[in-house]
This record gives sequence, structure tokens and C-alpha cells, in this order.
Amino acid sequence: MSDSRNSSSRSLISSIMNPKFIMVYATVGIFLVIYLFGAAAYGSKGFTTLRTFTNLFIDNAYYGISAVGMTMVLITGGIDLSVGAVASLTGMFIAYGTSVLGLNPWLCIAFSLVVGVGLGLLMGWVIHYLNVPPFITTLTGMFLARGVCALISRESIEIKNETIDALASWKLYFMQFKDGEWVRIRPSAYINFNVILFLVMLLLGIYLLQRTRFGRNIYAIGGNEQSAKLMGLPVGRTKILVYGFNGLCSVLAGIAYALYVKSGWNLSLQGAELDVITCAVIGGTLLTGGEGYMIGTLFGVLLKSMIPALITFNGNLLSWWGKIATGLLLLLFICIQKIVVSSTERRNSRTKKTKKSKA
Amino acid sequence: MPENNILEMRQIEIQFPGVKALDKVDFSLRAGEIHSLLGENGAGKSTLIKCLTGVHHKDGGTIILDGREVQPQSPQNAIELGISTVYQEVNLCPNLTVAENIFVGRQPMKFGQIDWRTINRRARELMRRFHLDIDVSRPLSYYSTAVQQMVSIARAVDVQAKILILDEPTSSLDDNEVKLLFQVMRDLKAEGMGIIFITHFLDQVYAVSDRLTILRNGHLVGTYNIEDISKVELVTQMVGKDMDTIFNLKRVNVDKDAPYMLSARHIGIPGQVEDISVSLRKGELMGFAGLLGSGRTETAEMLFGATKIANGEIELNGKKTDIRKPYDALMNGMAFCPEDRKVDGIIGDLSIRENIALAVQARRGFMHPLSRKEQNDLADKYIQALGIATPNAEKKIGELSGGNQQKVILARWMATNPKVLILDEPTRGIDIGAKAEIQRLMLEMCEDGVSVIFISSELDEIIRCSNRIVVMRDREKVAETDGADCTQEKILSIIAEGAQSAGGAES
Repeated sequence: MSDSRNSSSRSLISSIMNPKFIMVYATVGIFLVIYLFGAAAYGSKGFTTLRTFTNLFIDNAYYGISAVGMTMVLITGGIDLSVGAVASLTGMFIAYGTSVLGLNPWLCIAFSLVVGVGLGLLMGWVIHYLNVPPFITTLTGMFLARGVCALISRESIEIKNETIDALASWKLYFMQFKDGEWVRIRPSAYINFNVILFLVMLLLGIYLLQRTRFGRNIYAIGGNEQSAKLMGLPVGRTKILVYGFNGLCSVLAGIAYALYVKSGWNLSLQGAELDVITCAVIGGTLLTGGEGYMIGTLFGVLLKSMIPALITFNGNLLSWWGKIATGLLLLLFICIQKIVVSSTERRNSRTKKTKKSKA
Repeated sequence: MPENNILEMRQIEIQFPGVKALDKVDFSLRAGEIHSLLGENGAGKSTLIKCLTGVHHKDGGTIILDGREVQPQSPQNAIELGISTVYQEVNLCPNLTVAENIFVGRQPMKFGQIDWRTINRRARELMRRFHLDIDVSRPLSYYSTAVQQMVSIARAVDVQAKILILDEPTSSLDDNEVKLLFQVMRDLKAEGMGIIFITHFLDQVYAVSDRLTILRNGHLVGTYNIEDISKVELVTQMVGKDMDTIFNLKRVNVDKDAPYMLSARHIGIPGQVEDISVSLRKGELMGFAGLLGSGRTETAEMLFGATKIANGEIELNGKKTDIRKPYDALMNGMAFCPEDRKVDGIIGDLSIRENIALAVQARRGFMHPLSRKEQNDLADKYIQALGIATPNAEKKIGELSGGNQQKVILARWMATNPKVLILDEPTRGIDIGAKAEIQRLMLEMCEDGVSVIFISSELDEIIRCSNRIVVMRDREKVAETDGADCTQEKILSIIAEGAQSAGGAES
């Protein structure tokens, strides 16, 4: 976005210092601080290895995929509480479809996509045209999806399917060309299908948000929906598509989770929607809408997933400390956001006053 | 020469629940003219504009644009038809950059991606045309309201519209910025654009308009060439009454021995406003004159406890009183109508009744709720006494015109039977008829023994009503004069004396 080529270095600095990036810098900064802390404390136990780093992705890819869609929803000023339930429902479709009914897994996935995206579009339509608050609408969607999960089965279903197994166990190692043959850089560090799916969705999210009119309309709606309408932007269509896209992300997150645990259970991913929202907020997305970057969300996911990793490396702490640390982290970021927002307002009222006194 | 009418609206009718907002109104706009649309608040100007921009839908009549009958369905549709609008409130997105606010929805694309470089370059060029050399890649909220207003005008101008509607674009601009805007308007006119200009400032109407159309109570009064109508005639037509009766307001006589209701001694906050002393007698109207930002509002806020004073003391009714928060002031018989009614005054989603009852309720405490009957009586009494134009007391205040909103706020505080009433710019942004009405109400309250502090940027108002005038400059009280023998020139010269040194602060 910076146009460094035809500008002086002064304007490059000013575009780096642009106040709209403050939250992203805060997220990246705190990530680095915690990572360095981990490196100092548990470096000898292998915290700094590439394996540990790729595991952050592998163990949390499904959160990340969902967070991509959630970030967009939050930027419009909305919220979506149905993501965990829809992901869980996807897992049920795949597990029940392949293992009980013996259907083709691709058919199950296609069916999940139709249901998930359809539900998202429907919720977006209700939110926009019936003017029902997103919180209520998506809460309803959550109960609906959760209910259908229980309707399918109340038992955990193990997924036994060759295609799914193949997808789940597929690994990509980091290779380098050495002495005339390809060898692994690190023998145990790899990424899997879920990680690639996450990264692809993240890139798609960045593209949509920063490079398309659709994405910019999302920001405009979050900034001031009334203004967006008066500027002639397609507010209704954009909002419906955002919830539809989030439905897509929920389904993909559900697929990733199914590949990760290789089973479907109607009570899986309970409360996951809140974890996803946490990732986005830690990543600098404002719950009031209008602000947020995908790159921030990426670091939000990494930050949130690093806490359990640190606890595992410590070995003495109960895993519940992870929840406490996440809570504190969230609190910290909400405080930072508040300070940033209010300091912007203060500066504005000051500039306004000097402006007026000139008059 | 009616042939080059770019827009013709014939016999437009719009019906709102309970009121006929527009009754058979005709309006036409030629290519390459600036056409002012005048009328009091609630006369139907905004309704007519919103009918054209697709916010409201007409119930009767025809709109002919460029020889073709059209019916704008939505703001988006209106923009596609070539009708571009700048609203009074800045209708942009504060979180987007300046450049993006100008181009959002119609961004230039390159290889399927938004071409940010072109957006920023063109935005910079456009802002230079407005003589604003600002960093267009910063969020809009980073800049002052005046700059934001210029950005919204830049957006409207850049869409290559056939018709540009400017709905009170000048209310947040200073003189130089207004001049600049007029220059831009004339340039656009020369390019053949038709401009509809709405403003409350009559001088501005005469400065740029070719023709003007006057509306009153939803009816068309007439369309005139600017040379054919004098200012007095114009105002008479707008208000529908004779000017003299309106401006026949007399300041109230105050007994020289009347007790002091409010005395402030050397109050101030270091770095903001310092060392202000004022004393106000019973039934006296004190005007606060001064430029915006001279410290008038800050002083009023200190008196009311909205900001806590650091130094000095306040005496109410002869007793030293500790005012730490607005509640203390309220309990001591003070009332304060803040400057920006949209932000600090009205609660838009509540009804007129609820808005009026608010301050009385606050004073009684939540343990003693006003009964519905008491509320109704209160609302009906003030709707009648202040002549608030509404079908009933249950209408949302947000749906009223500016002047009527201001009357509701006034009613809210009058209902508390205050001894001291502070009014910060009560007449800003409302039309002449409503202004005179507000002034009359203030003077009547003084007659009844209420002491009033009246803050206004319009000196003639202050001089007309005030018994004494406090002049503020650069966050200090610089003079206090008697209202009776004060002139506009005298106050201006007091303000101007120190203005030289203040001018250089802004870059």
C-alpha cells in the first residue's frame, strides 16, 4: 500500500508510522517478546526448533482457518458465534457419511460446503434485511447446527476412510538440494494439508481484504455503515457475502479438525468460536468494527497457540494456566486498543480546537 | 431558457405519517448554474433532496433528469444516475484513508486488484485542487472536521456527476475554506455541472447563487433570480411573517440591586482556561462572545461541573458551593444545554416525551419515577409552550428538524425550573425563525427571574439579548461590557487586538 517508489523517504517513514498499523505492530511485538522469552527459558529443551514452530501451525490450523473468516465478520462490526458448531457439524457429516453410510468423502465435503455456506448466507440475510443483531442471529445458527449434530449421532464416530487417511497423513518436508540429491533440512519438521489450507485461506483473505472492492467495502461498513450506504456501496450484498465466506471458513475449519482428530463428535469444538474471536482480537481486530488485518490475525493465532506450547515445555504447570494466560493476553490487547482509540480521539479533538481557534 | 434544464422535479409530493412533508413542489436546475434551496428547518429542503437521492420515495409527481423520467431507488442508484451529494454531517468512513474515502466503491483496478498507487496519486492531486497538501494515506479520523468536509466534497466532485448537491457544506468551514469551496463551485459550474446549494448563511447564498428556490412548510414559495430578490424579502418569504415582529426582541431590564445568583472567582484549569471571574444577577442574561476555541465552552463546562475546576471558587445563591460533577450543579438549580446537540444533547431513539422528562427525572432520583401521566403533562405543556412542530409527543426526537430538537433540549432544562441556565450555541445550525423563537424563550425566562448565560458565535444575537457581555479570547476573559451600549464593531475590535499573535500557531 505504501507508494515508496515515487515518494521521498520522508513519506515512506510516514506510511510506516501510519497510525492504522499500530495494533499489528503491538501484536507482532508481543509475539516476538514471548517467543524470545520461550527461547531463553526453554531453548535448551528445543523450543526454538523448526519442529516446534511448525507444530504451532499444525496444532492450530483449524483455528486459523476459521479466524480468517471471523476477522472479516468482525471488521464489518458483526460477530459469528456459529463457527464452532458449523465446524463440528462438518466433522459429523464427514464421519457419519464416510464411516456409517459409506459415501464418497468428497461428496460429504461438498454437502458440508453447501450447508455451511448456505447457513452463513442465510444468517447474513437475516442480519441485514430483518435487522436482527448478529449476536442473536448467529447464536440461533449455533444452536441449529449443534442440534443437527446431535440428531446425526450422539456417539463419537471414528473416521475410517482411505482418502481421509491419505489426506491426514500427507506431509510436506522442507527439502534442500544437496550433494546431488534432495534431503530434508530438518528431519522431523514438516507441514501438512491443514497448514497449507490455512496459509491458502490466509492469502485469500489478504487478497480479498486489501485488493478487492469487496474487501474495502467490508472496512467501510465497519467504519460507518450509514455512510457506506450513502456513499452508494452495496452494503447488503457485502454483509451477506461476508457471512457466507465465514460459513465457508467454518466448513474448511471443520474439515481440518476432522483430519486432525480423525473422528466426528457432536460435542467437539464447544466454545471454539470464542477461541477464534480471541485470536482475531489479539491480532488487532476491533470488536467495534472497521479495523483489522489478516496478518495480525495470523500472529494472533500464533500467539494464542504458543501459550499451551510454553506450558508443555515447562512441564510442571497445569494446562489450565493456558486459559489464564490467554485471558490476560486478551485483557492486555483490549486495553491497548482502548488506549490507541482514545488517544486518536484526543488528538483529533485537539487538532479540531486549534483549527477552530485559527478561524 | 427552460430548454437546458438538466433536472426538473414537477408536483413532487411526499407523505410522512401524520404530516405532508412536500406538497406539489416544483423545482428545476439548469446545467451550469448554482441554485440555492432555502427554507426554515422542517420546510422540506432535506426531504426534497432525499427524494432526489433515493433515500425517500415520492408519493406523487415526476422527476425528469436530462429529458428522461427517473425514480432514484437508493443512494447507490442516484449516484449511478449522476446525482452526487455532500451531506451536512460528514458521511465518510473515519477508519479508511483519505484517498480511499474518495475512491471507495469505484476504485481503479489493475490486473484484478485495486490499484492503490493510482488511488493515492489521484487523491493527492484532487486534494491539491482544494489547496490541501495532506498525507492522503492517513486515516480520515486523523484530520479535522473541516478537512473531512473537504474530502467529502472532493469525493462528490470526482464522480463526474451531472448534479452536485451540497447540503450545508459550510457549517464546519472557516472563511478561507468557504472561499475555496466557492471557487471550486464556480469551476464546476463553468464545466456545466448543476449545483444545488443549501445553507443557512444568506450572505453565502448571495455570494455564489444564480437562482434560489424558497420552501415553506412543505410548499413551494417561489423561484427567483438572485438579482430580483432582496435579503429582507427573502427572509420574509422564508419565515412567512414580517421580519420586524421577529426581531422586535427587547432585552430584559435587570434590577441593579438584584442578588447575585452565580459568582465565579478566578476559576480555571492550568493550561486550559485560566482565571475567569464572572457574576450573574437574578434575571440577567449574560452573553459570552468570542471566536470558536476562545474558551467559552470550557468556561461554561467548568461552571456546570462538566470539567472539574482546579483553581478558584464558585458561589451559588450567595453560598460557596463545591461543584465537582454535573449532578451537583443540577441539584443546585443549574442547567446546561451543551454545544453539540447531536452528540451531547439529544437521545435520538427516545421520544420527545422521554427526552423532555430526562433532566427532571435525574433530579428526582431513580427512586421516585415520574408517572406516565406526569411525563405526558410535562411533554404536552412544553410542546405547546415552545411550539414544537410534531404530530405527538411520542415521535422520536431524532426524526425532528434541528430547530425543533433544540427546542426539546431547551424544554428538558426549562422543566427543571432552573435558577441558572447555560446555553451553549443554542441557535447554531437552525434557521432564522427558530433562532428568533429560541431568543424569545430565553428572554421570557429572564423575565421570570432565571439567570441565563448565552454563548453564541453570532454577535448580533448576543448584542440583541444580553444585559452584559463577556468577551473571551485565547482562553481568557478579556473584557466585560454592558449590553446596552455595545456594538458589533466594539466587540470585534476587542477580539481582533490579540488575534495577530494567535494566528501563527497553525501550520
